[in-house]
Amino acid sequence: MSQGVYEKLQAMIGEEAGPFEAPNEVNRAMIRHWCEAMEDGNPLYSDEKYAGSTRYGGIIAPAQMVQAYCMPPLWPKRTMPDPQARAVRMMDEAGYHGVVATTTSQEYFHPMRLGDRLSYKLKFVSVSPEKTTRLGTGHFLTSEYTYTNQKGEVVCLQSFTILKFKPAV
Amino acid sequence: MAWKSVHWDEVKEGDELPTQKRDITRTTVIATAIATRDFTPVHHDHEAARKSGANDIFLNILTTGGLIGKYMTDWSGPEGQLKKMVIRLGATCYPGDTLTSNGKVVKKYTEGENHLIDIEYNLTVAAGPHAWGTVTMILPAKS
Repeated sequence: MSQGVYEKLQAMIGEEAGPFEAPNEVNRAMIRHWCEAMEDGNPLYSDEKYAGSTRYGGIIAPAQMVQAYCMPPLWPKRTMPDPQARAVRMMDEAGYHGVVATTTSQEYFHPMRLGDRLSYKLKFVSVSPEKTTRLGTGHFLTSEYTYTNQKGEVVCLQSFTILKFKPAV
Repeated sequence: MAWKSVHWDEVKEGDELPTQKRDITRTTVIATAIATRDFTPVHHDHEAARKSGANDIFLNILTTGGLIGKYMTDWSGPEGQLKKMVIRLGATCYPGDTLTSNGKVVKKYTEGENHLIDIEYNLTVAAGPHAWGTVTMILPAKS
């Protein structure tokens, strides 16, 4: 059975979805809420005078915030095609019920300025052969996200790897 | 207010970043979940978290990334620029945990006009390492 789902997942490698637009443009309120929760006092994110004197010429959002802008709204519900989510459902059906995120990476290219409109695309890039870990036996699934601004400039490339596994007993 | 930034010229491989500690409360977990726009129930709903096999609601991954970035730029000052962040995920961070951040400069180099450093970091909780990996930063240079 397991061989069957692995082959189906391998056939999905390279599948893409998007672009999906962020619900809000880059804005001061969301930046402030983020900084308040993180306790991040970097003046680039809040001090107009300071940020204006730098090479950015104004306030920018924390680079790591890019994904937050692109999160789907709680309402109205959006169902977006997502090859990784489909892969997860296929593995659930094959008995790999456990899930844990193992690695994520982000590389940053262009800053996010107030008013920028972000969007992202995602791509299912790899599935590992079956591996046995301390959590159980399963496969690592990796997707890549490309975030761009309204000018088509790449803001961030992100990869995200999860392990879907049959829990060890 | 004048803001100080660390310059690439002053940094040596082996330099350690000052340790930071943050007490994680239920309010922290929920406020960061909402600020990162992550409404997954395990980050705000105790019952849902227990059903998923966790002990309690727990910190989401976006927040781990946010806190790593804050740790880096708190040290570097605002002119330090995050270029790349790799996060390996370990123990869950629960309310009641003290999240302790440590980091060390492991590589100093240039690429084109950029003056870069790699920092190996780890964020730990009572149960062990919560997140660890390498961050690449571009620092201002005097030369």
